[in-house]
Amino acid sequence: MTGYLTAVYLVVRKDLRLEARTKQVTTTAAVFALLVVLAFAFGFVKTLADPQVVGRGALWVAFVFAGTLGVTEAAGVEAEHAALDGLLLAPVDRSAVYVGKVLSTTAFVLVVDLVTLAAIGVFLGYELALAAVPALVGVLALAAFGFSAVGVVVSTLTFRSSLGELALPVLLVPLVVPVLLAGVELTAALATGAPTGTWLRVLGSYAGILFLGGLATFEYAVEE
Amino acid sequence: MSGDQPSAGGEDGGDPPAIRADDLTKRYGRFLAVDGVSFSVADGETVGLFGPNGAGKSTTLRMLAGLVRPTAGTVHFGGVERSLGDPDATSGVGVVTHDAMLYDDLTARENLRFHARLHGVDGVDARVEAVLDDVGLADRGSRRPATFSHGLRKRLSLARALLHDPEVLLLDEPYSGLDQRGVADLGRILDGVDDRTVLLSTHDLDLGLERCSRALVLDRGRVQADLQTESTSSSEFEAAYRRAIGLDAERDDQSTGDHSTALDQR
Repeated sequence: MTGYLTAVYLVVRKDLRLEARTKQVTTTAAVFALLVVLAFAFGFVKTLADPQVVGRGALWVAFVFAGTLGVTEAAGVEAEHAALDGLLLAPVDRSAVYVGKVLSTTAFVLVVDLVTLAAIGVFLGYELALAAVPALVGVLALAAFGFSAVGVVVSTLTFRSSLGELALPVLLVPLVVPVLLAGVELTAALATGAPTGTWLRVLGSYAGILFLGGLATFEYAVEE
Repeated sequence: MSGDQPSAGGEDGGDPPAIRADDLTKRYGRFLAVDGVSFSVADGETVGLFGPNGAGKSTTLRMLAGLVRPTAGTVHFGGVERSLGDPDATSGVGVVTHDAMLYDDLTARENLRFHARLHGVDGVDARVEAVLDDVGLADRGSRRPATFSHGLRKRLSLARALLHDPEVLLLDEPYSGLDQRGVADLGRILDGVDDRTVLLSTHDLDLGLERCSRALVLDRGRVQADLQTESTSSSEFEAAYRRAIGLDAERDDQSTGDHSTALDQR
């Protein structure tokens, strides 16, 4: 029997290889995120709105839209030709498949977030002290992890049931509201130098809860 | 042809059957897809699951494969009860369904290597080349399944199912969508694995009869008949099949109904 970590590694490597070949998830989601940022740029171009505030809003709105698209595409790859059934037939713990999917989806969502971050700098004049950039990338990574943790379960559920993909955002977005709230607050705190401890704990705890919830429910989400 | 009653099998104190399903039931809401199906398949036996569309063949196979959780009932492989989600549950089972379960953007060889590693196969590269050769795809290993015909996809799917050298093969409608050449090719491949226990579903009576030594006829989620098919002619089998799924009875009822109507009108 294949070891747990080996199975996780194989799933992640397979997803990264597929994405490197097709660029389907990152390209689609990144283009969509850029369009969101451009919409913000056009919408606020004649206002006196603070670019810092508009930039934060654009970053996290793009995060939700592009992230939803990302998890949809990631689940779509497994739905095509029932590829997920092939994973479920392997003698590996099904939670290893889940962990692998979460890690690869986190990587895809994070790449799109970084593209979005660059775009809000260019199009919205968003500025952040260089020293705060690694911390913001860390926040985005943690948020992407929480988003993917629940996104993988919900997208799998919608693809394998009669709910359909259109139900995905309706089910997913309410579950990630605390991630967004913490993300917005942390982005503001990093820009102004305010303390981040409380919101960081909120984000970390909630992402952890979503991950544990996903581990516990993935087995049922893959059922027909 | 032997009796028309479902047989429990494997309960004579000898070796446990390779596959045993006890009272397998699957309910989707109000819809009862499989209704207390029980049967066993002896080691090395090839058994066909026959039945019309919606009879419960695929759901039964998917429950055996561990892809669908039964509402009730148990599955044993080699006398050991297997539960859904147990990593060991399907380690000795190879499964082919309607879907290829492969990634279009990996090559055939990459797909097989991925699945071989997931199954913990030793000597992955050699094994992958061996199964590619077995299914006649040795020269197409570098191509992506997206470029394959339906028949080639089916062969690649069978290669995936054979990678870990399973003792039991579950084949759901393996002949569906294949032309005559595809059927012949698949038949030759299956001839090469006829030392294994095979449970295959089909609604093609002739192809199933040719391959199987025993037939389980499913209809409305139940086993309606368990027939020994060796030295059975195609017409005898078709007649037994029609009786099992009530086709002849329906025809008789319709004739009777028409007659009654005519009498009433008079």
